[in-house]
Amino acid sequence: MMKKRSRLTFTLIIIVGFLTVCPVIMLVFGSFSKGLSVFGTFTLEKYIAAYTDPEFAEIIINTVVFVVGASTVATGLALFLAYLNNRTDIPFKFIFKIISITPMMIPHILFSVSWVLLLNPSNGLINLVLKQVFALENSPLNIYSLWGMILVEGLLDMPIAYLIIAPAMASFDVALEESSRVCGAGTSRTLARITLPVLRPAILAAFILCIVRCMASFAVPSVIGMPGRIYVLATHIYQTISIGFAVDYGKAAAIGMSVLVTSIILIFLYRYLTSESEKYVTISSRGYRPTVIELKKAKIPLFFILGLLSFIFIVLPVLVLFYISLVPYSMVPSARAFSMMSWRHWIAVLKDPISLLSLKNSLFLGVFGATLGVILSIFVAYTIVKVRTKASGILESLSFLSFSFPGIVIGVGFMWFFVRTPIYATIWALLIGYIATYLPYGIRPLTSAFVQIHSHLEESSMVCGARPFTTMRRIVIPLLVPGIVSGWILMATMFVRELSLSVVLSRPGTEVLAVQILRFAGDGLWGRLSALGIIMIFISTVLVVLATLIGAKLKPVEGEDKGALVQNLVG
Amino acid sequence: MKIQIKGVSKHYYSEGKTIKALDEVDLTIPANQIFTLLGPSGCGKTTLLRCIVGLEAPDAGEISIGDEVVWSSKKGIFVPTEKRGLGMVFQTYAIWPHMNVYDNVAYPLQTQKLPKEEIRRKVEKTLRFVQLEGFERRPATKISGGQQQRVALARALVAEPKVILFDEPLSNLDAKLREETRKEIRTFLSELKITAVYVTHDRIEALALSDIIAVMRSGQIIEIGSPKKIYFDADHRFVADFIGRANLIKAVVKSQQDDKTIIDSEIGTLTCQKREFPVGSEVTLCIRPEFINLKKGEGVDGQNIVNGRIETLVFIGDAYEGEIRVRNEHLMARIEPETSLNEGDTVSFSVSPDHCLLVSV
Repeated sequence: MMKKRSRLTFTLIIIVGFLTVCPVIMLVFGSFSKGLSVFGTFTLEKYIAAYTDPEFAEIIINTVVFVVGASTVATGLALFLAYLNNRTDIPFKFIFKIISITPMMIPHILFSVSWVLLLNPSNGLINLVLKQVFALENSPLNIYSLWGMILVEGLLDMPIAYLIIAPAMASFDVALEESSRVCGAGTSRTLARITLPVLRPAILAAFILCIVRCMASFAVPSVIGMPGRIYVLATHIYQTISIGFAVDYGKAAAIGMSVLVTSIILIFLYRYLTSESEKYVTISSRGYRPTVIELKKAKIPLFFILGLLSFIFIVLPVLVLFYISLVPYSMVPSARAFSMMSWRHWIAVLKDPISLLSLKNSLFLGVFGATLGVILSIFVAYTIVKVRTKASGILESLSFLSFSFPGIVIGVGFMWFFVRTPIYATIWALLIGYIATYLPYGIRPLTSAFVQIHSHLEESSMVCGARPFTTMRRIVIPLLVPGIVSGWILMATMFVRELSLSVVLSRPGTEVLAVQILRFAGDGLWGRLSALGIIMIFISTVLVVLATLIGAKLKPVEGEDKGALVQNLVG
Repeated sequence: MKIQIKGVSKHYYSEGKTIKALDEVDLTIPANQIFTLLGPSGCGKTTLLRCIVGLEAPDAGEISIGDEVVWSSKKGIFVPTEKRGLGMVFQTYAIWPHMNVYDNVAYPLQTQKLPKEEIRRKVEKTLRFVQLEGFERRPATKISGGQQQRVALARALVAEPKVILFDEPLSNLDAKLREETRKEIRTFLSELKITAVYVTHDRIEALALSDIIAVMRSGQIIEIGSPKKIYFDADHRFVADFIGRANLIKAVVKSQQDDKTIIDSEIGTLTCQKREFPVGSEVTLCIRPEFINLKKGEGVDGQNIVNGRIETLVFIGDAYEGEIRVRNEHLMARIEPETSLNEGDTVSFSVSPDHCLLVSV
């Protein structure tokens, strides 16, 4: 038994290590080597070229402002929402709780595009309306700015921060607050002196994770930043490898190294902080019920703020996309606009062979990739939770590593890696890259599922005379179904919308949806883009619904927590 | 079936320290008896049980069940858990939440690939035995804690194992239910010809259930004996203290008689149970509170008369708990609830030499 387990751990370390460490190693070698190949002569040229670039200082300043700004917006909003949802008597709480995390389901590139469609200076819908209403010469708002980038990225990353802060807020030991009240402090003083300080590790963890995400973000910088000539590190790398004649992967790797190293440091800091915050806050096993704070007069205004936010998050992007997909060009909604509506963009997309190919590829990657990814995740999560040796600790750190991977940087590493193999420029390259980069999304829900399966449940099966395989089939797998379903859904939706890794790895013949959308955005084909975008959202939704239905059919566990999916997303 | 454990050791490494969970344990568990491993938490009792059932592998030693060696470090034998044919009730019951009561109980038979009809018959019989008829189709999580406990017992019994193991099975029940279930288990087990190994840290559970008790401390078995032997005639101070409430008083052996040992102590010169300690050696005198019978006023001369004063008197329902001061020693005593004694009263008591237990320091 022990031998089998250590063999399993060893095999998994090799597979996961191969997936996560290989691209990093390739990246390191590539950044130090002359010429186009990885194992060329050793040189520091690339670093010197990358970091002495006169534009580099500005790019760094842009990146810092963008990343810190967006993370602050995301964390602040998340804190606000989490507090209102968990601790106050705001009406329709249930809806707002779902709404707070729904933006995760909207592909980042579409969200960015819809804001471009609303706020771009030449024909953004809101700008057009404002110009008409106030008879202005120029557009009053310009999305193509650092402010635009910060706001959109902040909105996009809010759910991640929310998923870290909200559970901490919910499991907060209310006695800490009550004793502050007894000592004579009012609601706001208690909030400032007790609640927020106790939640500090969770808030910091959320902020750090947002920073990592913003650094890796490619959709917002490319769709909003590049047209405004505002470059951050991610787009700078993209430019180095895909624009112009002198494509320089070595230089891109040299730039990418600083992003990667920062991310890895931050992600391990994040991990430290989350374990700290668990120590800090989780005194929750006692039956407690947090006191609900009455908002009184502030109730209605706050309710409207929340309502507006949810409108911005969900309704507006989809609505804008749908509208644009039907009108011939961007125009203010009017009787004339409605009379000119047609399905021509939809027909154009469905007749476009590359769009169709990208649809097929993304669907294959979503379904098949997520299935493979979840199977690997089951074994990894099992080893991490149940085997618990030093080796399985290594496995955990390895699998966590890819959480910090900025897609475009790691994409360069993968590209080098695949270029010597026959899978280069095939869909399998994308498949392997996706699984490597998004492995934590499958492992997370499965580890929490395994944690819930008390070891006694397996052990009693063994005592009853069941062989390991029987135990797996009859006890472990059925109890894992909720974890498997949420892992599969997360991976599948991530794969269907994947952009940052794909822009590096996708080649003619292996186009995927997000890359095709980016191409439409570059060409200004907003109508077709919107049509394809809605198809993309539709596919994701269908996959989610199907997976949920199948999961429900496979014998649900009694008293299964419906919120488990949500809790499992990030933790 | 007899279980034999020879020189079994098991070490853990935690934060750089080696913890001896089992330290060269030698033990024979006789067939068809209820055998209890009793000890404080962390004494290694659960580890020993898990080594017997095969969920953990010891570092050294040999374990045999009946005539079969199931573990031997020398011979390199390790029979996996599922091939040992045992039954076990877990502390958490380990009822599978995705199955109903019937499937939970039928599971051990299904793994043996028995015919469906036979499985149905055996499950019904076992459920009847644990008084759970009619619960077959209930989801296993939708029944009470006590019923889950009985499902776990039924599952452990259904395949008619020769040995059944219990890992603190009552610790998750509330006090009243625990008492009832304890009696039930006793009844069930006495009806079957089966070897039962029972792990607990609860002394009352151990005393009430067992034929034989083995008291463990830091990976070693300190003492083995019947409940009465352990309670009245323990050899070790640790065992005497652990198995019940006890007044432990320092004493020196004054003289040895044929069937008695005389000691000197802070509470006076007392005649005690015969124990082979050399004259002049330091020992510990153990008197249980329930054997201290208080009388008002100073005692007249006689054997083992001790005088003192009631310091405190606390009403605990079925009795008073008194603290008696005898010179510089404080003794606990159990006093009938209808007593007329008050705090501050001068009292005396006499203890029969049989209840003056001498143990090593």
